[in-house]
Amino acid sequence: MNEAILELKRQIIEVLNLEDISPEDIDENAPLFGGGLGLDSIDALELIVLMEKNYGIKLQDPAEGKAVFKSVAVMANYIEKNRTK
Amino acid sequence: MKMACSINITPNKVVINGKELHYTERGEELLTAIYRSQINDYPKFFKMDSLCRLGFVASELLLNGELDRFKPREDRAIVFFNSSSSLCNDENYQKTIQDKNNYFPSPAIFVYTLPNIVTGEIAIRNKYYGETSFYVLDRLDIESMEQIINDTFQDLTTKSVLGGWLDCKDKDHFEAHLFLIKDEETSNLPNWDKTIINKIIYSKQ
Repeated sequence: MNEAILELKRQIIEVLNLEDISPEDIDENAPLFGGGLGLDSIDALELIVLMEKNYGIKLQDPAEGKAVFKSVAVMANYIEKNRTK
Repeated sequence: MKMACSINITPNKVVINGKELHYTERGEELLTAIYRSQINDYPKFFKMDSLCRLGFVASELLLNGELDRFKPREDRAIVFFNSSSSLCNDENYQKTIQDKNNYFPSPAIFVYTLPNIVTGEIAIRNKYYGETSFYVLDRLDIESMEQIINDTFQDLTTKSVLGGWLDCKDKDHFEAHLFLIKDEETSNLPNWDKTIINKIIYSKQ
């Protein structure tokens, strides 16, 4: 597994309190929302905070967030291109 | 009013209908142990703050086995009381905003900075569409609790109340004393009044 994707999965599990889920349980190409993880709108806000806190990325446009959070792989790719820290 | 069942949870003890459930875990680990052993089908538990976890597991144990448990209903109210409000979680939220150089307010923590979130969580879980209230009192005031819960039955809808004291100061200091109270004057259940509330709360510490 790509190290960046693995690290991102670990961060998502921690900030969203996904108890009993391991990085291997998350398909990086599967939809983050509307899938088996059961994420909701508060989780989306928490992911926005994660992006800013860990990578210095500020998502201003909610529509942009919808695209960025399509999957872990898409999110990791966006982080790689836009991170400031 | 009649008392159908009761539960007491403190950091060291779980007593339901007068019988102790034995766990070796203490504090918030006790709540997690109860969840894993008795519930284990509601992952949102792990997103809840301590007050919600306490109310959730207490209500689950209290309601477990009730007929038509998850049938939507409007005739059951949830009325809770405490003196600490949502302080335990408010302090956690404060930690996310107190450093202006590390200012990342957590939405997931913020949503629990009200005590009545727990009544909503329980209502959602059990599909209750009736009254939900959370009163913050200056102390464990049994007379006020009795009066307010009795008043809840004055509407034309409420036939039962999941109510009682639910207080959480932090992960190691909390107490739940909850009752399921029914408007059934003719049943064989014990009367629900301040005498029995006192007996249940103060005999199980």
